[in-house]
Amino acid sequence: MQILGLILLLLGGGALAAASERLHRNAPRWLALGVIAASGLYLLAIPVGTAEQAAWIPRFGIDLILEMDGLSFAMVALTLFLGLIAIVSSWSEIDESPGFFQFNLLWTLAGVVGVFTALDLFLFFVFWEVMLVPMYFLIAIWGHEARAYAAMKFFLFTQISGLLMLFAILTLVYLHYESSGVITFAYEDLRGAEIDPTYAFLLMLGFFVAFVVKLPGVPFHTWLPDAHTQAPTAGSVILAGILLKAGAYGLLRFVVPLFPEAAWDFRWPAMFLGAASVIYGGYLAFSQSDFKRLVAYSSISHMGFVLLGVFAWNTVAVQGAVVQMVAHGFSTAALFMMAGALQQRLHTREMGQMGGLWLKAPRMGSVALFFVVASLGMPGLGNFVGEFMVLIGAFQVDVPLTIAAAIGIIVAAVYALSLMQRSFQGEPNAAVETMADFGFRELSVMILMMVALVWLGIYPETLLNLSAPVVSELGVDP
Amino acid sequence: MDGLWLIPALPLVGFLILFVTEGRLPNRVVAFIGAGSVGLSALVALFAGLDFLEQGGVPRAEHLWTWMAAGPFEVAVGLYLDGLSLVMVGVITGVGFLIHLYATGYMADEDGYSRFFAYMNLFVFAMLMLVLGDNLLTLFLGWEGVGLCSYLLIGFFHQDSANGYAARKAFVVTRVGDTFMAVGLFLLFRELGTLDIQAAMGAATLAWPDGSTLCTLIALLLLGGAVGKSAQVPLQTWLPDAMAGPTPVSALIHAATMVTAGVYLIARTHDLFLLSPDAQLAVAVVGLATLFIASFTALTQRDIKRILAYSTMSQIGYMFFALGVGAWSAAIFHLMTHAFFKALLFLSAGSVILALHHEQDIFKMGGLWRRLPVPFWCMVIGSAALAALPFTSGFYSKDIILLTSFDHESGGAWFWGLAALAAFMTSLYTARMIFIAFFGEMRTEPHDHSGVNMWLPLVILAALAIGGGWFGLAPVAAVLPDGGVDAAHHEGAIVWVTALIPIAGVLVGYLIFGGKQLSVRALVESKTGQSIARFWDGGWGFDTFYDRLVVRPFLFLARINKSDVVDFLYTGIAAFARRLNIVTVRSQTGQLRWYAANMALGLVLALLLVFLAPGA
Repeated sequence: MQILGLILLLLGGGALAAASERLHRNAPRWLALGVIAASGLYLLAIPVGTAEQAAWIPRFGIDLILEMDGLSFAMVALTLFLGLIAIVSSWSEIDESPGFFQFNLLWTLAGVVGVFTALDLFLFFVFWEVMLVPMYFLIAIWGHEARAYAAMKFFLFTQISGLLMLFAILTLVYLHYESSGVITFAYEDLRGAEIDPTYAFLLMLGFFVAFVVKLPGVPFHTWLPDAHTQAPTAGSVILAGILLKAGAYGLLRFVVPLFPEAAWDFRWPAMFLGAASVIYGGYLAFSQSDFKRLVAYSSISHMGFVLLGVFAWNTVAVQGAVVQMVAHGFSTAALFMMAGALQQRLHTREMGQMGGLWLKAPRMGSVALFFVVASLGMPGLGNFVGEFMVLIGAFQVDVPLTIAAAIGIIVAAVYALSLMQRSFQGEPNAAVETMADFGFRELSVMILMMVALVWLGIYPETLLNLSAPVVSELGVDP
Repeated sequence: MDGLWLIPALPLVGFLILFVTEGRLPNRVVAFIGAGSVGLSALVALFAGLDFLEQGGVPRAEHLWTWMAAGPFEVAVGLYLDGLSLVMVGVITGVGFLIHLYATGYMADEDGYSRFFAYMNLFVFAMLMLVLGDNLLTLFLGWEGVGLCSYLLIGFFHQDSANGYAARKAFVVTRVGDTFMAVGLFLLFRELGTLDIQAAMGAATLAWPDGSTLCTLIALLLLGGAVGKSAQVPLQTWLPDAMAGPTPVSALIHAATMVTAGVYLIARTHDLFLLSPDAQLAVAVVGLATLFIASFTALTQRDIKRILAYSTMSQIGYMFFALGVGAWSAAIFHLMTHAFFKALLFLSAGSVILALHHEQDIFKMGGLWRRLPVPFWCMVIGSAALAALPFTSGFYSKDIILLTSFDHESGGAWFWGLAALAAFMTSLYTARMIFIAFFGEMRTEPHDHSGVNMWLPLVILAALAIGGGWFGLAPVAAVLPDGGVDAAHHEGAIVWVTALIPIAGVLVGYLIFGGKQLSVRALVESKTGQSIARFWDGGWGFDTFYDRLVVRPFLFLARINKSDVVDFLYTGIAAFARRLNIVTVRSQTGQLRWYAANMALGLVLALLLVFLAPGA
């Protein structure tokens, strides 16, 4: 029960962190840090391929089925890494009830780890909710000025789409019961279910919408800019870095394997939404004047590549989507941390009140430049590998949509460089007299992510080898 | 000899050291690392080149590691050395080292000394990856990398937002071209299943017939990338603005190396262009249009760096033109000689600019020849090569291009005529620059205090600008299809006319701008003259055109949709729900009879439904 142990470690650690607040104000963050570090070490001890199963609610065929294959391992590793980053990046940001804050943080992470490993649909859904509720609190309690609105919007979007998925899960289980006489929520059993194509299509849509809301894809994206902008830095890091990937993961793990024919029939609209997200997200990113909101919209653009890649239906594109998921996790989390660091120093996110910050904080300037460059898809860094593989794979299938998405890369250059210009370059803003540069804590976190992106950019094989068996099992190549 | 990887790795290490130390090293150490890493790289390249020639010019590939592999898609990070990449590596590391050396003096008084050399070293690394890459994706890594460094160095003085604008313009415009190129790679991979250059070229020749549409399409897409990077029509508009960067940057990136990457790309993939005469013709036309447009614009500019920028554009136009008319080796030959003389011109201009406290307007210079002898003579030598006066390096390379174009089956005399006219214009604007900036009365007092690290590169480049063309260019003969620059033989009057045109240009230039025996005042001050001058000066209206067609509509769209129209759908639903809430709240009056009446009404309705329902 190693995987379950990992999840319990995070849940228990969260509870402890909440309780430890009574000992000392700073105890929760140290405890959370320790829990994350321990989980990371623990993860390394779990071999790829570990599968575990235990009865939970036998009457309804619900079991605790957890499996750590290559894709899960990569996503869980990303989760714990960014969890660590999130805790460190909000080290001095949280004054109000730090214990409950770390509790929510760790419980979200536990939910995410569960989502990435659960192979029982009921269990999966439970984790899906565990991931959502603490995140709601993170935004609603520690968020910025419009936090109540943003948190509610985030909750409603996720909850309503989650309901669709729950409905689809229950119907799927029922249809499987009708044809086989067995009630089960187990993924492997349901994969083999024989369902009428019309039903299959509708069920597939139920899953698809839930995951695309999370991803998010146009036109279900509008919760994201509010939630990301209003969330505290740690919340944004986890939202953008990990939670969005849960949507992408869901597409890969459930939509395609459970409903291969239906998903195949739906591939063009899905790819269209992907390409539309790339363009529309990039276009709206350019329109923003709020640093964090710009980064939030750029996420929509980047995740569009994932949607495009998954439904391009060939190994290259799907593998590209996996790389893109991880790379985007690093690059966007770093940019959100940059936004958080700026807000903490300047008390604003408006780029109109920035400008010329490089002169005051050259270290922040060059770090920002690095991630901006990563975000616009520079070869040698992870995002390029993801985007290029998605595009070269998608091109085999649909030329116009690929070209549209490729144009999105031009737009990426426009918004990314304008972000850099408006904040760090240009004439110094007279209103900003001094600004503290990155210290050891912030810099070391950033360096970790830079190294990760460079590694992913020049040797993505590490990740590709992990996910290759999973992708080949999808059977997407003709 | 193994260790090809050392050539790009050395500048990369230089970059990493400078990046990690965050500008805390003293300037002397920075200069040592910055210029030294490139110098070492040049040495390694020299040995690699000697070894290569000793082995009889057998191409060598070096597989470093698998970059990405998924399904049928597999790309390595690999290097490839043949005659063509050897010439490029020589130019990049050799001229690059001289420019770095010069820059150690030029940038001495500027802030961000370490940052400057970090970017420059990163550039050299990327440029070397571009020319050494044995597959199109490694090439693309370098291709984008040089674009990034170009962006960083154009906007090096980032406090001035005009520089930032120029930098972003350069990046975005070239990225438009890069996207064409990327699509070209997608298509090439789809059709041939590989991005390995040698394998793809071989497969293309086997798979496609002459004039294949597919091949034409791929070649044109690659041309799109080349056009962006090499500042050719219609994506040329970024280069003049790129002069916002420090002058050594202009010399290295925007004259000697990066902007010639497009020429290299086409030469590297020449098999595709040989298969597609239409695409090759397009290359010639693009080159011709650019060299024509740019050479007229250069005549009206006042800023010495912008004159040189337009002249770079037009010289690269010659290279494209050469590729298009089948003078493959001459294109690379001209690339090399151009790197010598244009780097020389930029660096001498830099010395002049520095001595005049950053004055760049040639009409505010004048009479400098006596006070700044080294820059002056270097400028004269560079100009002579640029104008292609006999026995300078530029003469040898440009002469072959013009003569080969005369033999072109479909263009022939027209091609030659237009290119020759532009050659005349070249020597005319070059003469104008020299006579106005260095002769006549002195308008600004110069203060020259350049050390040996600045004049030594000038002298070496001056020697190369003269003698660099005397020995031809043997290594490329084995790579390019026309069998090298010595293969071309021409006779008759055309040879003499071609050789004399530049001299005529200089003479006319002297008569107008030097001795003033010829007055063009009436022409210039006439209404038509002025509007033509304005048109040329503005780069033939391309900027205005793009501004109206692309930039403003995009800005407009961005302005009107900042708050995301899609969100109205959801806020609309929310507003509707709230409205519904207001309506239904009214029913909650707290009066018992109201509730009782409603209950009764509801009961009646329910009963009615039960009784009236069909089948009841």
